[in-house]
Amino acid sequence: MLALWSLLLPLAGLAGLVHAKSSSGDSVLVVLEPGLPKEDFSVFFSNLKEQGYDLTFRAPKEVTPKVIEDDIPAFAHVILFAPESKAYAADITPQSLVTLLSEKTNLLVAVGPKTTPLTSLASEFSLILPTPNTPLISHFPKRDTPATVIPIEVASNSLLTAGTPPVWFSGVSYALGNNPLLVPILAAPAESFASDSTEDSGADALVDASEKGGEGLWAGSATSVVTGFQTKDGSRVTWVGSVTLFSDEFAHKALPNGKASGNEQFAKDVAAWTFQEKSVLRIESVSHHHVNGTSTPDFYTTNDEIVYSVKVSKYDPKTSSWKPCTCRSDIQLEFTMLDPHVRTTLVADPSDPGSYTASFRAPDRHGVFKFVIDYKRKGWSSLQSSTTVPVVPPRHDGYPRFLSAAWPYYAGAISTSVGFVVFSALFLAGDVRDVKKGKGLKHE
Amino acid sequence: MPVAYPLPKDLSPATVANTASLLRIVALALISGAAIASRLFAVVNFESIIHEFDPWFNYRATKVLAEKGFYEFWNWFDPTAWYPLGRVVGGTIYPGLMATSGVIYSFLHAINLPVDIRNICVMLAPGFSALTAWATYMFTKELKDESAGLLAAAFMGIVPGYISRSVAGSYDNEAIAIFLLMFTFYAWIKALKQGSAFFGTVAAVFYFYMVAAWGGYAFITNMIPLHSLVLILMGRYTNRLYVAYSSWYAIGTLSSMQVPFVGFQPVSTSEHMGALGVFGLLQIIAFSQLIHSHLPSKQFKTVVLGSVISIGLLGTAAIVTLTVRGSIAPWTGRFYSMWDTGYAKKYIPIIASVSEHQPTAWPSFFMDLQFLIFLFPAGVVYCFKQLRDEHLFVIIYAVVASYFAGVMVRLMLTLTPIVCVTAAVALSELLDTYIDPQEPDASAEVADVAAPSDNASAATPSKKVKKAAAAASAAPSNPISDLVNANAPAKTKKASKSRGIFGLDTRIAVIFNTTMMLLFFVAHCTWVTSSAYSSPSVVLASTNPDGSQHIIDDFREAYYWLRQNTAEDAVVMSWWDYGYQIAGMADRPTLVDNNTWNNTHIATVGKAMSSSEEVAYPILRKHDVDYILIIFGGLIGYSGDDINKFLWMVRIAQGVWPDEIQEPNYFTPQGDYRIDDQASQAMKDSLMYKMSYYRFSDLFGGQQATDRVRNQAVPKVGPTLDYIEEAYTSENWIVRIYAVKKEDPLGRDLKSANAFAEGKKRKRTKPMTRRRAII
Amino acid sequence: MAPTKSASSSKAAPSSSAIHSLWQAYNDETPDRLKFVDAFLVFIMLSGALQFLYCILVTNFPFNAFLAGFSSTIGQFVLTASLRSQVNSENKDEFKEVSPERAFADFALGSIVLHFFVFNFLG
Repeated sequence: MLALWSLLLPLAGLAGLVHAKSSSGDSVLVVLEPGLPKEDFSVFFSNLKEQGYDLTFRAPKEVTPKVIEDDIPAFAHVILFAPESKAYAADITPQSLVTLLSEKTNLLVAVGPKTTPLTSLASEFSLILPTPNTPLISHFPKRDTPATVIPIEVASNSLLTAGTPPVWFSGVSYALGNNPLLVPILAAPAESFASDSTEDSGADALVDASEKGGEGLWAGSATSVVTGFQTKDGSRVTWVGSVTLFSDEFAHKALPNGKASGNEQFAKDVAAWTFQEKSVLRIESVSHHHVNGTSTPDFYTTNDEIVYSVKVSKYDPKTSSWKPCTCRSDIQLEFTMLDPHVRTTLVADPSDPGSYTASFRAPDRHGVFKFVIDYKRKGWSSLQSSTTVPVVPPRHDGYPRFLSAAWPYYAGAISTSVGFVVFSALFLAGDVRDVKKGKGLKHE
Repeated sequence: MPVAYPLPKDLSPATVANTASLLRIVALALISGAAIASRLFAVVNFESIIHEFDPWFNYRATKVLAEKGFYEFWNWFDPTAWYPLGRVVGGTIYPGLMATSGVIYSFLHAINLPVDIRNICVMLAPGFSALTAWATYMFTKELKDESAGLLAAAFMGIVPGYISRSVAGSYDNEAIAIFLLMFTFYAWIKALKQGSAFFGTVAAVFYFYMVAAWGGYAFITNMIPLHSLVLILMGRYTNRLYVAYSSWYAIGTLSSMQVPFVGFQPVSTSEHMGALGVFGLLQIIAFSQLIHSHLPSKQFKTVVLGSVISIGLLGTAAIVTLTVRGSIAPWTGRFYSMWDTGYAKKYIPIIASVSEHQPTAWPSFFMDLQFLIFLFPAGVVYCFKQLRDEHLFVIIYAVVASYFAGVMVRLMLTLTPIVCVTAAVALSELLDTYIDPQEPDASAEVADVAAPSDNASAATPSKKVKKAAAAASAAPSNPISDLVNANAPAKTKKASKSRGIFGLDTRIAVIFNTTMMLLFFVAHCTWVTSSAYSSPSVVLASTNPDGSQHIIDDFREAYYWLRQNTAEDAVVMSWWDYGYQIAGMADRPTLVDNNTWNNTHIATVGKAMSSSEEVAYPILRKHDVDYILIIFGGLIGYSGDDINKFLWMVRIAQGVWPDEIQEPNYFTPQGDYRIDDQASQAMKDSLMYKMSYYRFSDLFGGQQATDRVRNQAVPKVGPTLDYIEEAYTSENWIVRIYAVKKEDPLGRDLKSANAFAEGKKRKRTKPMTRRRAII
Repeated sequence: MAPTKSASSSKAAPSSSAIHSLWQAYNDETPDRLKFVDAFLVFIMLSGALQFLYCILVTNFPFNAFLAGFSSTIGQFVLTASLRSQVNSENKDEFKEVSPERAFADFALGSIVLHFFVFNFLG
């Protein structure tokens, strides 16, 4: 991830002298279906342009500009506002969109009540779209818009600006599967449900609807209207249940209590998150060494004291640069050989902002270990790093020597050797004496 | 005395002795030449390459030793073997072989002969085989005389039972271990005969070298005490036995503990307790003899005898108690399975699965030993007739080795030396009788004097030696003593025999017959060596229809593909047979290899191979496996492939996970092992089956695909792979390499991801209920 | 250690006097050289016994040092005992090829090899 982002940065620089806002490029392709004129979304698009994005527009059936060619994405981000088109050009298929994601392109997709090829794509993200033509309906709060146009309270969410007013919404909600990569952004109101008609006055209509499509299932705040998804490669997709969320009409529409709606702010936030402006982290560098050393060794010995440090930086959209991040405090380090043997939290280093260190003792087990950082938090980009290092047993002369417990043995061995030398000297002397005596005796 | 053919009368004893020793030296030199030459078939036919599997690891270790020096080798921790457990090589090998090569390498480089380490490794075994022949000569000389020694050396030099483990390129521990075995036994016999602590020390030092070189040193550790015990029980205790055994045991055991791999085993495992027990017994007996010498009274003698026996029994009881308590380890699986042959198949499938550990079939005795095998009992009978201490050793060795050779094919190697020795003794006795020119007296009254004959026509195989032998027999090949007798009758006693052979024609018939048998032996050995034992097994050879040789080099092709096309730290998973070769030729980290020290790790690989893709994938990811390598012989009929070994993978995995893997699941309901459309579901789903037969039926272009090894029809619709993808298949489809796919970026399981990529739509689902059950 | 030809008559007696007569016989019959060798043997035995007791009673760590020290005593003991039997003139018939001088040379060589291994293993 680190390498790819550092490759895209010069790309972003090449894309123009415009002040880049996104960390991964600012060419955006907007696929707008013919039924939705560009001017209806002028607030949203002009906000994007202000942020510094380059917008290119095309209809779904147009052949150029291709969104992906020869497995190389042509744009850094793609907006798909085509909730009702059933036919696309050859380069936009559910499979090619997934390929885009694995090539680090971000998507912002709006779906609607009608079935389109995009609905089959949504299920790949473990989103469970309701039966076709069952828009979201809520009869509360009392207002004078149709039941399908709902003001939704924006719960506090780290991805959104605090205090965003309720947003107008008209579209579908969907249920979430249990894929951990999903990032819920806006849940449907508790009183809402999916219904197959806009006028469901009377219980009969409700009963019909429930028999047809399981109406009670897509209901309540368990369903979601705006959900993000962060792939394992780092790219982000946001699924929005309504394209009109971004429209000028809703941006200017007043809430039932008279205040201005939060659509414009909400749309900006959603785009900022999806296009890798917000909550974007990366690892700048990792290093490890002995406690008292500075250079990175090729291997460690068991029971060594090891210090591991990682530099994390966060993308600052205001200055379009990566700043050291002291924002996270729960990054964990695992020292793993098949299973983690050591798991410790990396502590922020006060002297070096953005640097987190951990100090621990290598296990008493030799093997090939990995320093693993696998940091996943909803809404934040994942930090992953794996550094392999062997941990070897002590060298043959690395063990303590001349142990005090062994002195009787040392004394014994030495005494035997000394005794041998003394004995052989005396024995030979006695031999010589015997010979001399023998000779002497002989002479006599 | 009547002679069958005339002896020359004008030779002095000194000339005879000198000529005899010159001929002996020449014969030994030619035997060495023959021994080395007959092991070079593989080098000539193919190239100078390390063979098989284990030698590749030894070669790698020797390279480390040669490049980095001894201390780096001693402390070498290999992070690429048994990933991610690593292997502490320094402490888990027998370093004798590598140290020997390292010494030779340094020596040659010191005298400015820059021989490549690979050539040293390849040629080490033939070089040491010449030394083994010489050691066998020395050993047999102690039993009978030099002529038997030369015969034994000649047999040992070319006998196939030994060649199989010591051809050029077979760089394995046995290459030097058999030499050390024979030399240690020689030193032991010398020590026993002379009662000399010097030879005891020499035996101990070579025993240390043997312990450093081969795990089979336990054979010596138990043979020498067994011999001593039998001598004691036969009442042949002497001070010489005490001196020889004690000096060997004390120095030998202490030195054997210097090898880290052996460590404290000599004082804490059952395999070594026999030696300790006999040592203690000898001390007790010696001490009691000392006391006995000072107090010869009968009653005291019985008291002493009683106390000796009771101390002996106490010692045995102590050892047994310690074993039962666990302080002394019982017989390890490898050795225990030799006593209880059914043990390994039930409890230690890894040991049972090694093809070398299977029982020996009858034909291999003849193939490895030819006519020596029926001279072998004759030689043992001869030893019974002589029954000096050293002959007792040979008898014990023969009995023990025969049993072990029947239990395990691999142990034919330990039977071969003693068969050579005894067969040589028997043949030499036969030739002595028939070459001896003395004819018996009609009036037979004098006791036999077994004229020691010095037969210089040791039947060495090469033509040159035959000429030398013919030349030697042109000069009369006579019993030396008869020769000397003929020239100096006054000095020696007239030895007239009461038994013997009349006439020259009988002699010629028998000697001619024997020579023909020896020639057949040579022909057989050479043929067996060239056809059966000289295959490098890394390269296969077959013949084309027109008779020319067709080399099948799939293994090296695939290993080099790995070496050149994968990341340097890409981890390769394969069955443990190929681990050393992958490490040696492809230079990649492997998961398991031939060392087989960790059964659970091997069982993990077995489980991955025999489970479905979904079950195997987490195992693969956990172990960071990037590539899987399998051997598949179905296209060209190579029967040593992984599908044939598959049941062993299942059994080993079942040993650790009996709930998840059951062997009967891989058979058809009728109990057959099939890979066609009748194969069981578990078999069809297993990773090994899928990898072997992936796209196999496409090769046959619509016609029936047949697996040439199993001789079954492969189903037309082959398996599909979701979690792995084919990376490389070698020319004859022998080696197939698969890459493990990375996880899906959307977090889906790969099967659904693949289905989506092919355009299939998922079924519509309803939202999951989040109601909690009311407990 | 070798059966002697001398017939010193000690009758069967109760054990204490048996030991006494044993000691008497030993003192009388053994030449001085052998007694000197025996003294060395006793010294080695004591050293070994002390180390063994220490190992059992106090600690057997480090085991390799214990084995080295104990083996050095055992090895030296058997080598000296071998020397004694080879030098003992009563055993001349058994040791045809080992003269007393050769016996001492063997003893010295064996001891040097033994001590080399001992100090290597001692740690």
